[in-house]
Amino acid sequence: MTHSLAIKATGLVKDFGGRRAVDHVDMAVPAGTIYGVLGPNGAGKTTTLRMLLGIIDPDAGERLVLGHTAPRAVSARVGYLPEERGLYPAMKARDAIAFMGALRGLSWATGRTRGAEMLEAAGLGHAVDQKIRKLSKGMAQLVQLLGSMVHRPDLLVLDEPFSGLDPVNQERLETLIRGERDRGATILFSTHVMGHAQRLCDRLTIIAGGRHRFEGTVMDARATLPMRAHFVPRPGDEAVRALLPPGAAAAGDGFDFTVPEEGIEPLLVRMIGQGHGIAGLSIERPSLHDAFVRLVNAADADDRETAK
Amino acid sequence: MTKFMRQTVVIARRDFIAIVFTPTFLIFLLAPLLMIGFGAVGGMGAARMAEGGADRSRIVALVEPATAARMAQIDGRMRAIYRRAEMPPALESRAPGRDPAAAARALFEDDRIEVAAVLYGPLDHPAILHGPKGERTAAYLGELAEQTLLAARAGAGDPVSQPILSEYRRSSATDTGRQAAGFGAVFVMFFLTLLLAGQSVGMLAEERANKVIEILAAAVPLEAVFLGKLLGMYGVAILFITFWGTLMSQAVAFMPDSGQTLIAIAPAIGTPAFLALFLAYFTLAFLLLGAVFLGVGAQASSMREIQMLSLPITMFQVGMFALASAAANNPDATIATIARVFPFSSPFAMAARAATDHGLAPHMLALAWQLIWVGITITLSSRLFRRGVLRSGGSLIPAWARRRSA
Repeated sequence: MTHSLAIKATGLVKDFGGRRAVDHVDMAVPAGTIYGVLGPNGAGKTTTLRMLLGIIDPDAGERLVLGHTAPRAVSARVGYLPEERGLYPAMKARDAIAFMGALRGLSWATGRTRGAEMLEAAGLGHAVDQKIRKLSKGMAQLVQLLGSMVHRPDLLVLDEPFSGLDPVNQERLETLIRGERDRGATILFSTHVMGHAQRLCDRLTIIAGGRHRFEGTVMDARATLPMRAHFVPRPGDEAVRALLPPGAAAAGDGFDFTVPEEGIEPLLVRMIGQGHGIAGLSIERPSLHDAFVRLVNAADADDRETAK
Repeated sequence: MTKFMRQTVVIARRDFIAIVFTPTFLIFLLAPLLMIGFGAVGGMGAARMAEGGADRSRIVALVEPATAARMAQIDGRMRAIYRRAEMPPALESRAPGRDPAAAARALFEDDRIEVAAVLYGPLDHPAILHGPKGERTAAYLGELAEQTLLAARAGAGDPVSQPILSEYRRSSATDTGRQAAGFGAVFVMFFLTLLLAGQSVGMLAEERANKVIEILAAAVPLEAVFLGKLLGMYGVAILFITFWGTLMSQAVAFMPDSGQTLIAIAPAIGTPAFLALFLAYFTLAFLLLGAVFLGVGAQASSMREIQMLSLPITMFQVGMFALASAAANNPDATIATIARVFPFSSPFAMAARAATDHGLAPHMLALAWQLIWVGITITLSSRLFRRGVLRSGGSLIPAWARRRSA
């Protein structure tokens, strides 16, 4: 057993009717972290998660979940929020939570008690005995999320947990996820909304076209693109442009350019040495969104090239 | 309790509560009342029509008045032998006239009287004219003429003997009674499975429609989902049977001669053992057929598809009923052996056997055999679901079998 990893997947492959949905995906999720699975629509994120959970079996590859090769053997230690939300409409909120806990081995009584407490803590105390069909979509989604946590799992798998939630509930959900991590759980969640991933993830993997494209921290992902600088010269100083790196483009009151590999300092030394002044300078690290778009576009280009 | 059984019970409990604690369940529970009500109304109407027809129908004897009086006396005695429903039409006597044959034909054409048969001519060679399908009524008239002539020759109309009637009630069942009990068991079991096991065809539709199936499939083995759903519905079935069984047993207790009828059909294996076996076989028939229907229904992707499946499912059940009925009527025939061995008719046929045979050991064997098939059917159904609906490439062959063949 790999003690420091909650999940280790190697070479996962899944075909559906001759089409390869997941193509040799590797994944190593450290225990006690929030780990994001990022990818565009149809990238194979959900299929990968379903294989890790044992809902479907991979056609090839190995998976080790909480130290077990059969994910179902540890189902009592796993919580899952599927992409397509599902609850029995006639059930009361606390019973729905207790039912999901009971499926994972929690007693009904404990599930009902914890369900009421969790609903109260999540600001849904008024909905404890309301039927699911009476709740708004966002509230029902939170109930389902609480149901996936009620048995205090060691691994929480959330497939697109933020979709369909308003900003207030998104904030609540982020708090809940951080709370689970602080409790010691490992959280694996998929998303294609970069803002959540950037704020939450300790590590992430990017999947595109069924293949694994990147694995590392958010900073590692952002570092795959060079930093961008915005330089503002002193008014009337046209000559300074000749010193800027090739590809510098006029933007507003100055110029935008990619920070050279050797860094910004040699450029500034040259400018000052030649008597040019600096009215303003800002350096920006690319966002996860930028890195994601570049990685996915590069993956598309690779796939098209391979297809030729 | 094992983890698998605990998960199964969670599913069963949810389904049982979801079905029973709804107003729809009351309608379902009381549905047989409607059936009984419609049956009673229809039956009463049909009986009234039949009675009305019988009241107007007549048999006519074209005989001289002296013969008519004797014939009426003897008709009264002979008529007492028959049950009300089987009694011949009332006798009417008329003078023969000049042309009795023409008078007899004229009676059939007369719209003021409904004639079933007409007798004319001398009693030692009577001519009897009857309508279509009136042979038995004509035979009655013939026998009436015979008895009237015998009485005339003996010079008396009163009976010459006075029988003493005493009732004796047998204390054991007859073979015919046991066979009837066997057939009754098959019929009741068929009716209950038709009504209750057939419900399982749409049981996974709810989970597929509201996407809960993904949560269930992630948390518990599909076999536990299938078995749990079946057991949930089985709980509903037991509730249904307990309710109607209690009512029916009370109704039987109030029926005249019910005690003697129960003695005549007492099962060979003994009533308590028969009832226990009936429950066991019903359980297995429910699980076997329910697993097939649940598995087939789980493949359907819409309510329309599920509705389309109900006809072949009913046909399948009727097929099993026909096979088991043949076994009940011919317990020693080859067809009975086939019905007892074929897994899906076995519970029905073996319940019939419990009514006619004493041995308990074959039942233990049959119950084990059927239980194995319940396991096989549930495993195959859930694997088909995994492949067809969840689109997982898992093998249809169970893991233990794959390990053995490896």
